[in-house]
Formats: sequence, C-alpha cells, structure tokens
Amino acid sequence: MDDDDGEGVINAAVMVKLEPDLSEGNVSYNPDGTLNRSQTKNILGPHSAIACRAAMYAKVCYDAWVGACSMGPPTAEIALKDAMVICCADELHLYSDRIFAGADTLATAETIKHGIMKMGRRIDLVFSGHRAVDGETGQTGPQTAWKLGFNFIGNVIEYSIDLRSRMINARRKVDLPGLYTIIEDVECPLPALIALDPSYRDNYRKVSERLRYARLEKEARKRAEDYKSYLRIWSAKDLGVDVRYIGLAGSPTIVYKVEKIPKAKASRRAKVVDPNNVEELREIGNLILNIALGER
Amino acid sequence: MDRFDAVIVGGGSAGLAALMELSKLGIQAVLLESGKPIGSKSVTGGILYSKNYPNGKVYNVEDIYPDFLDEAPVERRITRYYLNALSGSKVYTVDLSEAHEYRTNFAYSVLMSRLNKWFAARAEEEAAKMGGGIIEGVHVRDIVWMDDGRGSRNSIIVTDELEEFGARAIIAADGVNSEVALISNARGKFEPEALYQGVKCIVRLPEDVMDERFNISSDEGVAHLFAGDISKGHNGGGFLYTNRDTLSVGLVYHLDSLLKSPIEPYNLLNEFLTIPVVTNYIVDEVAVPKELDRTLPKEEQLRIRFGLSRLLKQYEELRYTYYSKHARLDAIRRGLYSNEDEIKTRLEEVRGRLEREYGVTFAKNYVEMEYSCKLVPDGKRAMMGKPYKNNILFIGDAAGKGIFLGTRIEGINIGIDDAARAARAVAMAKKMNNFSEDYMGRYYTQLVEESPYTDDIRRIDFEYMKIFVRACGNIPLEPFPLFLRLAFMLIQKTAVQELAAAIARMMAQSTLLKIIESNDAYVRIPMEVARKVGSEVKPIAEVRPLSIDERIARLKIREDEVPHIRIKDPRSRFIKAMVHLCPTRCYMMEASEEMEGKEEVGKGEGVKTEARLKAVVSNVILQHEGCIECGTCSGETEWRHTRGEKGIVYEYG
Ligand SMILES: Cc1cc2nc3c(=O)[nH]c(=O)nc-3n(C[C@H](O)[C@H](O)[C@H](O)COP(=O)(O)OP(=O)(O)OC[C@H]3O[C@@H](n4cnc5c(N)ncnc54)[C@H](O)[C@@H]3O)c2cc1C
Ligand code: SF4
Repeated sequence: MDDDDGEGVINAAVMVKLEPDLSEGNVSYNPDGTLNRSQTKNILGPHSAIACRAAMYAKVCYDAWVGACSMGPPTAEIALKDAMVICCADELHLYSDRIFAGADTLATAETIKHGIMKMGRRIDLVFSGHRAVDGETGQTGPQTAWKLGFNFIGNVIEYSIDLRSRMINARRKVDLPGLYTIIEDVECPLPALIALDPSYRDNYRKVSERLRYARLEKEARKRAEDYKSYLRIWSAKDLGVDVRYIGLAGSPTIVYKVEKIPKAKASRRAKVVDPNNVEELREIGNLILNIALGER
Repeated sequence: MDRFDAVIVGGGSAGLAALMELSKLGIQAVLLESGKPIGSKSVTGGILYSKNYPNGKVYNVEDIYPDFLDEAPVERRITRYYLNALSGSKVYTVDLSEAHEYRTNFAYSVLMSRLNKWFAARAEEEAAKMGGGIIEGVHVRDIVWMDDGRGSRNSIIVTDELEEFGARAIIAADGVNSEVALISNARGKFEPEALYQGVKCIVRLPEDVMDERFNISSDEGVAHLFAGDISKGHNGGGFLYTNRDTLSVGLVYHLDSLLKSPIEPYNLLNEFLTIPVVTNYIVDEVAVPKELDRTLPKEEQLRIRFGLSRLLKQYEELRYTYYSKHARLDAIRRGLYSNEDEIKTRLEEVRGRLEREYGVTFAKNYVEMEYSCKLVPDGKRAMMGKPYKNNILFIGDAAGKGIFLGTRIEGINIGIDDAARAARAVAMAKKMNNFSEDYMGRYYTQLVEESPYTDDIRRIDFEYMKIFVRACGNIPLEPFPLFLRLAFMLIQKTAVQELAAAIARMMAQSTLLKIIESNDAYVRIPMEVARKVGSEVKPIAEVRPLSIDERIARLKIREDEVPHIRIKDPRSRFIKAMVHLCPTRCYMMEASEEMEGKEEVGKGEGVKTEARLKAVVSNVILQHEGCIECGTCSGETEWRHTRGEKGIVYEYG
C-alpha cells in the first residue's frame, strides 16, 4: 500500500446539527407555530450525515484526524454520537450553554469558529452540510468559513486532497434552475471549509480504501458505544467567546414571527387500484413514467 | 497502486478458508467476492464432512475455524445415510450409514449461503489483524502480467469496480465456472463429461414434524439418496437432506448425459417431488385461502387481501414457533410468550379466525422456499493436473476438485483442504521471495499431491466399495448383469473380498468407472431391485410443485444491464440444448425467415421485386435477465459472471 505517507497530516472538523426527524412525520408544533422540540424526535440531520460521510472519506483516504462538533442543547450529544458512527470521529465537541440560545446563523458561526480554534490542533479542513431540515440555515457553513478566514467551496459532490501542495480539488454541482446543471472542478489551498451537496457520493475505488473503510466502520461502531469518553462539552466561558457576538445578543437577524404556510387542502386525488388489474397498473406505470420524464 | 502479498478471487467456502489460513500464517491477504453479501452466490447440496485418513493429514473445517463445532450455524449432524432404489411407487432402501461413517469424523448438513457468512466473519476478523480483509461486490475481470525488468513478473488485477492493483500471489477460488482459469490459460473449459448439473430446492418443514417424520432427535439428521426411474433414463440421482427446519431436495446429473437428450431440470425436479416416497417426506399442512369474490367493491377486496395476508403471516410464525423445540424455547426466553400452552392457544385462535373470517381451509402440500442450480466438477475427470499458472494457485471447484462417485458426494471439504495447502505454499513463497510458477506453483502441487484426497479422487477406494457392497448384501442378484453379479457374489463372500478387490484393482480405472457410472448402475439395476424386492409406498397426500415461473418470481436477481453471456453460434446443437437445460429458461428458440434472391411479381406497372423465402430457420436467443449463473451454458458461450453485486442472491444456497 502506498497511500499512507505522512500520518495525521490533515486535521479535519465536521460541523453537525441535531434536527427533528421529519421523515417520521411525528413533528409537533408549539401554539406560536415554532417547532416543539421536546415533542419531536431528534436525530442527526440528514445533511450533517452527508458531511460526516465526507469526513470519513478524509479519514479513509488521507488518514485525517476528525473532530465532530455541534452547537446545541445537551441532548445534541446524540447527534454527535450518530456522527461518530458515520465518520469514526476522534473527538466530539458540544458547545452547549444557555447563552448560545436564540443564535442566528452568524452567531452560530461565531461559536463554532471558537470551537474549531480550540480543538487543540491546526484545523485544515472543515465539512458542513448543505443546510438543515428545520431552517434554511445554509449560510452557517460559509459564514463560519468567513469568520475562520478559510476558503469556501459549496455544493461539493466529490473531492480530493493533494497532501504535498496542500490543495483541495473539488467537484461542485451547480443547478441553474430552469436551465441546466453544470459540474465545476475547482481547487483552492487549505485551510478550507466545504459544504456538501445532497448528491455527494463517496467513491472508494482502491482496495486499500475499501479495507480501511471496513476497518474504520467497525472501529466507529465500537467508539460510539463509548462515545461519552470522547465527548467534551464547552460552555461560552470555556470557549472564551465574546458574549456580544453570540446567542441572541450576537444575532443581527431575529425571527419575530413564524407562520406556517398551510398545505394546500386535500389536493391529492386518491384512487384505489386493483393489483390484479393489468389495465389499471399500466395506467399507473404510464403516470409514473410521465412524472419521471417531467411531462406531467 | 495498491499491492498485496496475496489476493484471493472468490469467497466461497474454499476462498474463505484460504483467507483464514493466510492470515493465520501472517500474510496480508485480500479476498474479492462478486456477490454481495458474501454467500449470495453459493450453492451446495449439501453435507460438509470432516475426514481422517491413515496415510496422511487432511485439513478439516475445524482445523481452519477452531470454534466451528461450538459456534458455526450448521444444520444437523448427519448420522444416518440411505440409498433408495426407486421404481414407480416402489422403493428398496439400503442403509449406507456405515459407508457414510467411513473415515468420517463428523458430517453436518449445511446451507451454504448462511455458513459462508459465518466463515466470512471469522476470516475477516483474522485478516484484519494482518491488514487484509474481504471486499464484497467486486468482480475480477482480468489479470495482466508485466515484467518488472528484474526477471519476475508483476500481476495486476483488473475489476469492474475498483482501480487496478497488484498481487504477488493469486489464489483462484472462483468456483466451477472459473474465469481466472480461462483468463490465465491455465486450462480450457471443463468438458461436459467432467461436469454434473445440480438442481435443488429448499423445502420448509417445522422442526418437530421433521424429528418425528424421520424418527430422529432434534440434533440428528438423515441423508437420503435416490436412484432408479427418477431420471428419465439419464445418469444421475436424487438427494434429500434434513436441515434444522428445512429440507434440501435435489438432483444431480451428468451433463453429457443431459446434453444427449436434453430435458428441463425443473421438470425433473417436479417429477422427483411427486414420487410418493419423496412426497411423503416433504408434505406439510398449508393454508389455502379462498378465491376472492370479485363482485365485492374494490376497497373491500383490498381490505380482505391485506387482512388475510397479515393473519396468514402471524399463523406461519406461530406454527413454526410452536412446532419447533428451539424456536419455542427461544420465544419463551425472549418473553414473547409465557409458556408453550400460550403459543398453542394463540395458534388455535389465529387458525380459527382464518377459517371463520376468511374462509381459509387447510390442506396437504409442500412449502418451497428457494430454487437453485449450479454445475459441479467431477474430480476424477476435471481435477487439474497442474493446479497453477504463473503466480496463480487454483483451489476447490475452480481446480476441478470433488469426489462424486456413486454415493460419495464431497466437494466443500476438499476445497478447504486445498485452501490450507495453497496458503502454506504462498507463505513459503513469501519467505523465499519467489512467487514464480517454478517455485510456488510446484511447491503447491507437491502439497496437493501429499493430500490423501488427491489419491482418493484419482482412484476408486476399494475399502469403501467393500462396505458399500456389504450394505447391499441382502439384495437379490438376479437383476444384475452377469459381470456385476459375479463381482458382487465374490465380494459378498468375506473370504474372497481381498481377492476380488485385487482383481478390481488390476482393471484399468476407466473400465471400472464405465461399470460404476453406467446407465445400468444409475437406472436399470436400482429399478429392477425396487421392482423385484421393493415395497410399495402409498402417498399420504398430493403435492403441487411450483412452476418454473413461480420459482423465478421468488428468486432475488439484481439485473445486470450489461449482458454477461454471449452466444457464439445460435444454431449449434449445444446451444439448442440450452433451451431445455437452462434452469431458469433464459434460452428460447426463435424462428426466423431466411430470404434469398429477388423475384419479379405482378405485371405492367405493378411489377415489384420480392425476396424469396429460402428457409425458416430456428435461432436460439438468450435473455440473460433471469440467469442464476449456474454455468450450464458456459461450454459454448462467451461466459462471465455478472458484475459485482449484480445477479442472483441466494438466501439459503
Ligand atoms: C447441487 C449440489 C450438491 C452438492 N452437494 C455437496 C455435498 O453434499 N457435499 C459437499 O462437500 N459438496 C457438495 N457439492 C459441491 C460443493 O458445493 C462445492 O464443491 C463447493 O461449494 C465449492 O466451493 P468453492 O469455494 O470452490 O466454490 P464456490 O462456492 O462456487 O465459490 C466461488 C465464489 O467465487 C465467486 N466468483 C466467481 N468468479 C468471480 C470473479 N471473477 N470475481 C469475484 N468473485 C468471483 C462466486 O461469486 C462464488 O462466491 C454440491 C454442489 C452442488 C451444486
Ligand atoms: S443462462 Fe444462466 S442460468 Fe441459464 S444455463 Fe446459462 S448460466 Fe445457467
């Protein structure tokens, strides 16, 4: 195997978020329209999970050290545990303090910046998800990059690192709505923060990578059973943040009203189909085909 | 580029044992298996033997996996072994348990897909210690050799899924349809004379019912072989083995015999299942739902269908729990039920509801779980004399191994023995830093020659034959051809057994084989014996075997859009035979019109030229989508396995 020159050359961080499990449909709301977080089951957000896969890729292919971090309530340690299963994180950092509450994306970025700077090693690469499912918070990643002074690449679907020149090569997918989708290959020097596109695919094409992946996957499951011993919880004081820039106080944007857009009422027409009736099945087949071909 | 000391192609029982042994010997080894999960392409009959020989050591499964006897998910320990001669509904049974015990430490019935998963978990754990492991879903497509400029040759493995990588030693464990053997030119394809086609189905039967029916305790198992008029005159026979709560039921035929007068394997299987003695073993009580009233509103029809299928599932689960000692205890231990009576009450309740609410009736039939088919190499004709090429060592089915002679059926154990020897050869090659054909290949051949199995494959074991003949002691000899009658008579007399054996030993092996594997031995004699001295077996019920379409519908096949088989000559005799012999009906005959010349028709302005019909010819076409990679058609096609993860996924195997 010839891929392991220079151990621990890359130090990476992955920022993740605890989010309501919208897939289950068991979301509940407060009377004021905000999410009732205590009633809704929370998990590692799906976009965060993609960021973790990208972090695992760095671990497998570049032997990276990976720290997973999250800002959130104490229960967010579950998100970090889930993250650990995916990326085999070496450390878990949770930034949890009442004072962080009410943070918008900029204030969150401020907290995470301090967290990343306090990971105890020079971080070269940060991974973030595309956005969160419980809020259009796609700017947290770029804002964190900006605060850290890192280069930023968004919508990444594939990446590689040149360890010698310390450059990251990324392929990004740019959807031009109504027009077409373009694939861009970009490169920039480290340190950098990359946000992963939902269509990110890790592609382990080397035998050594597959073997390392299998090994790390096992290791990750083992670590996650004992995740608390990898976990450090940071308060605002521990992080040494300036309270003017974090939490509600540090948030220039304030959500002062939440209104649900009512779902169009019963716009679904349902028809019971007899699974033995070939004609009806054919009709459905055509319908699906039309939708798939975009000729609805 | 990645480079490894040892790369194993194929994760069947042989390849996995090689990985385990190499890792134990401190070698970093990587195993590539095209199926995913591992075991999904494995098929066996099958009974796994552990053997002992006075003239040397064989490497047994428990030598490779030290916790095998305590932990492995084997089915039942086979303690009784019978040969049944059949003619119509008459059967004459010979107890061959002594022959089965001959040089046997133990024998277990196994389901190969499941057992290989266990082997894989063990081997992977061991391999990880050396930085090796298993990669599933990768199909090896090519191997390229390049001179390294220093007198030795580097081999590069090319797959459909991964970047190319280097290997110092390669162990080909890719089964009977080995692509590595052809890529490397180590041998040609096996001839039909050297192959069997095995076809099989898994039949479900509750554990307690099985114990009672076969008169065995829950840890014992029985093997039944069948010969006689089950084959439509082809050379081959049937088998039925007891697993924990399933039966493995199938047939194995000489491929050359099938090619001579092609016949559908699934039809043969179905006839086999409906022979009274077999039917009586497989029959079970099954729920028969009432025909749905089509005049009911559609919503109501759907409600009934869903309700019924849920309740039927519950019934099945309850029944298999109640009628299985292991499942019953397990369910109580897990707190699902407080005691046996509760399970029984629940079962009766659900059964009552099925009858009352859904008009379900209960009838005798059998429950088929999985259909499978695979070629088997006949060791005495297929075994490679030189089981190596360049830096490749061949093991198991890929090397044409196997003892398939009359009532002896052994393949898994021999592949495992090969694996241990190949691993030792690679370890030695590494020590001497010489992976050449001349060193590693020859050293491996020497180790294989030392294996008692090698001799056993080449020569008929007369000790075994004597035991066999003794077991047949009570058979009247009139139906036998004169020669055999004399031989039997001699051999039955203990005093002249040695003499008879000596005479037989003097005969050329091929002459003896001609007698043992003659149509007389497979078909005529068993039929005569059953007819003359067999007893009549009355079927306790009728079973309705599944149609081939129903079977295919139950198989899990991940379609590979890229065809992996190409017909060479659509009109050859061989390929026409495949229309019958393909176990999943992938081959079809298509009539096409062959035109010639041009002819003027019509008069004046309406003159047209038309081609003249020369002949209607029939071509064979292939639809590879339903292929289960048995290899039957590989003889005269460009044949490969599907790409990684694609194709058949067996659950039992
Ligand atoms: C019906 C039947 C009954 C039998 N009964 C018995 C019995 O009772 N007792 C007994 O001992 N033996 C029996 N045998 C024989 C026994 O099953 C075989 O000898 C044994 O399973 C062979 O193991 P193997 O590892 O050599 O090959 P296989 O189990 O065939 O494994 C080969 C593996 O290689 C993989 N592969 C192939 N090509 C590639 C490639 N290019 N790249 C990557 N992977 C590849 C395949 O997917 C497969 O998993 C029976 C066989 C059959 C068919
Ligand atoms: S097409 Fe597939 S299933 Fe049919 S004979 Fe060939 S290998 Fe077997």
